Amino acid sequence: MKDLLTPRERFGLFVIDEPQDRVPIFPLVTAHAARVAGIPVRAYYTDGAAMARSQLVAQETYGVDFISFFSEVGLVAEALGSQFDYPDDDLPLLTRPKWTDVTQMDGRVVDPARDGRLRVYLEAVTYAYEARGDTVPILAYVPAPFTTAQQLVDQEAFLLGLLTDPEHVHDLLAYATRSIVRFCRAIIGAGGLPILVDPLASGSVISAEHYRQFALPSEAAVIRYLHRYDLDVVLHICGDTRSTITTMTETGADLLSIDRIEMADAIAGAGETCRIIGNYDTSAILLSEPSAVESAVAEMVTAGRKCPKGFVAATGCEVPVDTPPENVRAFVRAARQAGSNPDYGRRRTV
Amino acid sequence: MASLKAECRRSNVGHCDPKPARVSFEEWLELFDRIPDELIERYHYFGNGEAWSKYLFPPQTFAIYGARHLRRLKFDNSLAALRMWGFVQNETERLFRARQTGRRVIATMGDLGAVPVIVNSFPDCVAFYPDCIWWTPFVMESRVLFDAAAELGVGDATCFSRAALGAFSKHSYFPDPDLVIASTGASCDDYSGVEQLAERFAREMLWVEMPMRCGMGPTEPMGHMLVKEYERVVETMARLTGHKLTEDELRDGIRRANAVRKTVARLRELAYGSGVVAALEMMVVEFGNLHYYSDIGEWTAVLQHLLAIAEERAAKGDRVLDEDALRVVWVTPPADPLLLTYVEDAGARVVGTEYVINQALEVIDESKPGLEAIAESFMAASLIGTSRARAESVMKQARQRRAEGVIISGILGGSHCAMETRLISGIVRQELGLPVLEFDVAPPSNEIGRQLQTRIDAFLEVLRSRR
Repeated sequence: MKDLLTPRERFGLFVIDEPQDRVPIFPLVTAHAARVAGIPVRAYYTDGAAMARSQLVAQETYGVDFISFFSEVGLVAEALGSQFDYPDDDLPLLTRPKWTDVTQMDGRVVDPARDGRLRVYLEAVTYAYEARGDTVPILAYVPAPFTTAQQLVDQEAFLLGLLTDPEHVHDLLAYATRSIVRFCRAIIGAGGLPILVDPLASGSVISAEHYRQFALPSEAAVIRYLHRYDLDVVLHICGDTRSTITTMTETGADLLSIDRIEMADAIAGAGETCRIIGNYDTSAILLSEPSAVESAVAEMVTAGRKCPKGFVAATGCEVPVDTPPENVRAFVRAARQAGSNPDYGRRRTV
Repeated sequence: MASLKAECRRSNVGHCDPKPARVSFEEWLELFDRIPDELIERYHYFGNGEAWSKYLFPPQTFAIYGARHLRRLKFDNSLAALRMWGFVQNETERLFRARQTGRRVIATMGDLGAVPVIVNSFPDCVAFYPDCIWWTPFVMESRVLFDAAAELGVGDATCFSRAALGAFSKHSYFPDPDLVIASTGASCDDYSGVEQLAERFAREMLWVEMPMRCGMGPTEPMGHMLVKEYERVVETMARLTGHKLTEDELRDGIRRANAVRKTVARLRELAYGSGVVAALEMMVVEFGNLHYYSDIGEWTAVLQHLLAIAEERAAKGDRVLDEDALRVVWVTPPADPLLLTYVEDAGARVVGTEYVINQALEVIDESKPGLEAIAESFMAASLIGTSRARAESVMKQARQRRAEGVIISGILGGSHCAMETRLISGIVRQELGLPVLEFDVAPPSNEIGRQLQTRIDAFLEVLRSRR
């Protein structure tokens, strides 16, 4: 069935609280796009044009509502000096953080045009925007300060620092924030909508208290910057967010992208102020049969549509690289069906 | 001079503009860094303090939401211009917010300027022109709305205004109107066709007949007919809103419209006379006279801000365009705004316009009964008279501003262009001896076609050689 609206038109209505022809559909197809396009994963995250072409192919193949650029959360840390390994057919791996403890610091701020692979993202955004920006929103994931800090400093030292040296941790977060804001600004200039991603701030990693004390203020700082541009800001925290879902709304995010939490709990905790994006299990999309994906996604969409501020049918985290394409198709098919709005376009009056 | 400076400072609320210039998309990103948060918080439409009604945002914001052409345009670097662009680009959301906040949304079509004066005189009613959606495919560099119109039977051989039909069918560019008031008759045939097809999407459609203004003879009978038509508009609006419009309310509506028209008249004088505001901003300004971008109060404030800046620039001799630039009059609004940027980059400046909206530029006589005065002002309409009359308007401005050439940007499929362009061109050439460049605007693209670039360059070279 042909859609009445383009993804861009649908998203435009979504963010101003207007009904759409169906719920927006957003399985988080990131590096999986390399598989769809038939290129090595390494080419995906080191070559902007290849990254863009993969995403364009994946968007067209699956009929999803967004193009989203992401490879891994070390992107900004790498640009600041952390070292990574780049396997041929897998995502980059942190091999040596820039620092060993939280007291180390320099005055550096990234130059998005030069440092690390930031320009790869910018090239990809520019390419995709030029190719399809009139019909599809172009999103670029930006690792949040808390997650970035854990890629800058030895993770164990960082987590220990939360307890023993909070002052230096805050300094480190401010340091990361400056570069993240700079990168966001470059994405904005290229036509992309930055999405803030903070997986290492989830309840699977830190306590709710530490989330409020450390992660939230730095997320809020980036979101405040993005709100200067009137952008609709997505905050993605995968993993367990049961203990922080309500606190997450205090960041000012307009949309919360969630993972391991019951949809009803997410709506109860945040649905009055934030739109919810989520949250089909990524292991299930990798391992299940298409028919099982379909029925589970239909159930999720039915639950998600109860969110007063709006709902996007998504996976809880990235679609794994080797996910069978028929499972992604099953996701999209089920979300379209369960998320359709037969009343759309019927005459409405005051 | 001192009071102008004070007015400018007051309008700019302490913000210091850089030296006046046209700047690129990228440069505006730099400039926006200097805009303090307090200023962003200051400006709201619909006079409320809701976060959603803020609009002081840079071109990048609107580019991210699909306005791709903005990356290629040049913009005035003042806070006032930033405010204007933010306000205008925000209009789709504003219309939906109007509906969400209980206002009635009335689509007015075809007459370009008169009916909104009546509609806006009713409390809590917002008029807008779907006609203006014709810019959207160009601003987005997109065929989406044309394709949607094509599915409804209106293909590429029709005026770009067919985008309005696509927008009706999508229900996503403006809320489904409570009422559509469609003017037809002595106007553009293509758009009358678009209006007829749009009727299927309208909850209620009121057709208003526009009379032909024949020659230079008396216009009273046509004016009388228009008053009768406007009375039908008033009756229909009264039935829809449950509000009986008083003559005082209508006069207030006219006064508000005139405040805009007078401000725009002064801005035209300054911009086209002294080059203190560029043609791109001025096209936006002139078309604001049609329906005030759906919030007349805030649009008036935006214009006053811009006027304060323009007055100060004129007094100081600060221009955004070269004093020595080639002076041209532009006829028929270019659907592709990049054309204005291109021509100015190539060393010309626009010193007069005939954008087929004369009726919206005329000040309405406030001493006469309301509907009669609106009808009388509509008698100046560009498209209800002869081509000779349009040519006279072009020549009047050309003489006044010592224009060196005339550019007529036609609309492929636009019936009036097919009939008028050559006639106007002939009259101007014959009576003023000025070179005239005629071309049809190409469909949406990310650049001006090479062939057209060459034609514009060659035309400007001819003008230069005649100095």
